[in-house]
Amino acid sequence: MDYSSIIKDNLISLNYFLPELLLTGLIIVLVIADLFLKDERSPWLSFVALAGCVVVLLSVIAQFDLGSRSLFQHMLVVDPFSVFFKLLFLASAIAVIFLSIASVELAGRPVGEYFTLLIALTLGLFLMASSTNLVTILLSIEFVSIVSFVLATYLKTRRRSSEAGLKYAIYGAFSSGLMLYGLSLLYGLTGTLNLYEIGDVLASRDSNGMALTLSTILILAGFGYKIASVPFHFWSPDVYEGAPTPITAFLSIGPKAAGFAVLIRFFNVALAGEPANGASQWSALPELDWPMILAVVSAITMTLGNLVAIVQTNIKRLLAYSSIAHAGYALMGVVVLSQDGIYATMFYLAVYYLMNLGAFLVVIVFQDLLGSEKIADFKGLAWRAPVPAIAMAVFLVSLTGLPPTAGFIGKFYLFAAVIKAGPAFYWLAVVGLLNSVVALYYYARILKTMFFDKAAEENSISVSPYYVTLLALLAAPTIILGVYWAPLQKLATNSVEFLRAL
Amino acid sequence: MLFNFANVLTFIVFGAVFVGINITLSRILQARNPHPVKLSTYECGELPEGDSWIQFNIRFYVIALIFLIFEVEIVFLFPWATVFKELGLFAFVEMMIFVFILLVGLAYVWVKGDLEWDKSTAVPDPALAPSAARQELTEAIAS
Repeated sequence: MDYSSIIKDNLISLNYFLPELLLTGLIIVLVIADLFLKDERSPWLSFVALAGCVVVLLSVIAQFDLGSRSLFQHMLVVDPFSVFFKLLFLASAIAVIFLSIASVELAGRPVGEYFTLLIALTLGLFLMASSTNLVTILLSIEFVSIVSFVLATYLKTRRRSSEAGLKYAIYGAFSSGLMLYGLSLLYGLTGTLNLYEIGDVLASRDSNGMALTLSTILILAGFGYKIASVPFHFWSPDVYEGAPTPITAFLSIGPKAAGFAVLIRFFNVALAGEPANGASQWSALPELDWPMILAVVSAITMTLGNLVAIVQTNIKRLLAYSSIAHAGYALMGVVVLSQDGIYATMFYLAVYYLMNLGAFLVVIVFQDLLGSEKIADFKGLAWRAPVPAIAMAVFLVSLTGLPPTAGFIGKFYLFAAVIKAGPAFYWLAVVGLLNSVVALYYYARILKTMFFDKAAEENSISVSPYYVTLLALLAAPTIILGVYWAPLQKLATNSVEFLRAL
Repeated sequence: MLFNFANVLTFIVFGAVFVGINITLSRILQARNPHPVKLSTYECGELPEGDSWIQFNIRFYVIALIFLIFEVEIVFLFPWATVFKELGLFAFVEMMIFVFILLVGLAYVWVKGDLEWDKSTAVPDPALAPSAARQELTEAIAS
C-alpha cells in the first residue's frame, strides 16, 4: 500500500486544522499550568483560557478566506458553514469564561479542571460542526457529551448537580446507543461511512424506504438529544437546573448549535438531492420524507416546550423549557430544504446566543444577589435592582420575538423561509405563530413579577460594575441587531455555503 | 446478500442442534455422585469465601480508568509499530505527540494525588467543611 499520498494529504490538511490544533495546545497548557499553580482557586487559569480563546478566534476568522475543503481523507471539512458555527462556539466559550470568573457558585472551588474541560468542550463542538463521516460524527458527539456530563456535575457536593450529571449521562448513553444503531443500519444500506458517498449511493439506486426511515429516526435520536427536541428533551430541565449556571448557559447554546450544524449537514449531504444549478431549493430523497418527520418533531417540540414552561416556578427550569421551544423554532428552517431556511436557522441560532446567554447572565446576577432561582422571589426587583431587570426585559422581549429586538428579526426570517417554501408547510408556520403567543404569556409573567408586583423588601441592591458591563455588552447588540441587522445578515449569507459534493 | 444470511441461519441451527445433542447425551451417560467438595466453586485449590457480589472499594475505579487510558495507548501503538518502517519519521513524530499528551495526563493525576492509595478527604465546598466526627473518622481510616 502506498502511504506517502495519505501522509501528504494529512500534512496538507493540518494547515486547515489550525484552530483545533490551537485548542488542543491550549488544553495541554491549561493542564500543565494547573500543576504549577500553588492555589487551585486562583483566577490565573481563566485569564490563560481567555487569552487562548482570543488567539483561536483570530485563526478561525482567517479560515473564512479558505473556501470549502475536505480534510483527512474526508473525515472532516472546513467550509464557511463550519467556520460560522466555530465563531459561535468560541463566542459562547469566551462569554461563559467571563460568567464563570465572577460566579459565586464556583467561588472557592478548584477551577483548573473547569476551564480545561470548558476548552475541551469547545474543541468537541468544533469537530461536530465539521464532521463529514459517520464515525467522526459519532465520536465528536460523544466527545461533547462526556465532557458535558463532567461539567454538569462540577458542583459535586451539591445533590442537584450530581443528579443532573447522572441523568445527563444515562440519557446520553441511551440516545447515542440508538444513534449508533441507526448509523450501523445506514452503513449496512450503503456500504460506506462517508456522508458524500452515502449521498451518491442513495441517489443512484432505489433503496429500502422502510429501513432508511428506521435508520433516520434512530439517528435523529442522537441529534435530537443534542438539540433537546421532543422526545429526547427529558434531560434538559433537570440538567439545566442542577448544573452550575454558567455551564447551563453554555449547554443551552454550544451543544444545541453544534447539534443543528451536524443535523443540517447530515440531512442535506447524505439524504437530499443536490440543488439544480443556481437553484436555492432542493428536494429530499423520494423514498424518505424526512422533511415531514422534522416538521412534526419541530411542531411538537415548540408546543410542548412552551406549554410546560407556563407552569414552571424555577427560572432555570423555565429557561430550559423555553430553550426546548426554541429548538423547535430553529428546526422550522431545516424543514424547508432551501438556502433561505438554512440561513434563517443560522441567523436564529446567532441571535439566540445573545438573548439566551443574556437571560442566563441575569439569572446569575439574581442568584448572587438573592440566593434564589424562584420566579416568585423576583417580586419588585425592577425597583431594587433596575439595571439587571431592564436587561432581563430586553432579553425576554427578544426571546418572545417582538420588535425592536434581534429575536423578532430571527423569527421573521424563519417564518418567511417556511412561507416562501410553498403551501406544504403553512400549517407549521401557523403552529409557530400560535406558540409565540403562548411564549409571550410566560415571558410577560416574569416581567410582571419584576416590574408590577410589590417587593417584600424595599432596600435597593447594588450590582457590581463587572456585571453591569457584561449585561450592557449583551443587551446592546440584542437591540441594535433588531434595528440594524445587516452585519449579521451578511455574515450568515456568506456562511450558508457548505461543501455539498467531493 | 440473502444467501449470506442463509449461511448464518444454517450455522445457528447447526450450533443449537450440536450443543443440544451433546448435553443430552452426557446427561444420559453420566454417573451422579454429588459431594459438597465437588459442588463447590473451584478457585485454584482455595476454599471460596463468601459471595462474589460484593462492593468493591471505589478507589479501584480510579486505577481502572487510568489503566484504560494506557490500554488504549497500546491498542494504537500496535498497528503503528507494524507500519512504522514504511512511514518513517512522520509516524515517529506523530506517535511521540500522542504519547506526550498521555504523559501530561499521567503527570496530572500523579501530582494531583490520584495515584495515592490514601486519599485526602478534603471537601472543596466551604459549606460542607468536614465536621469533627468526620475528621476523626478520616484519621481512624488513615492510621
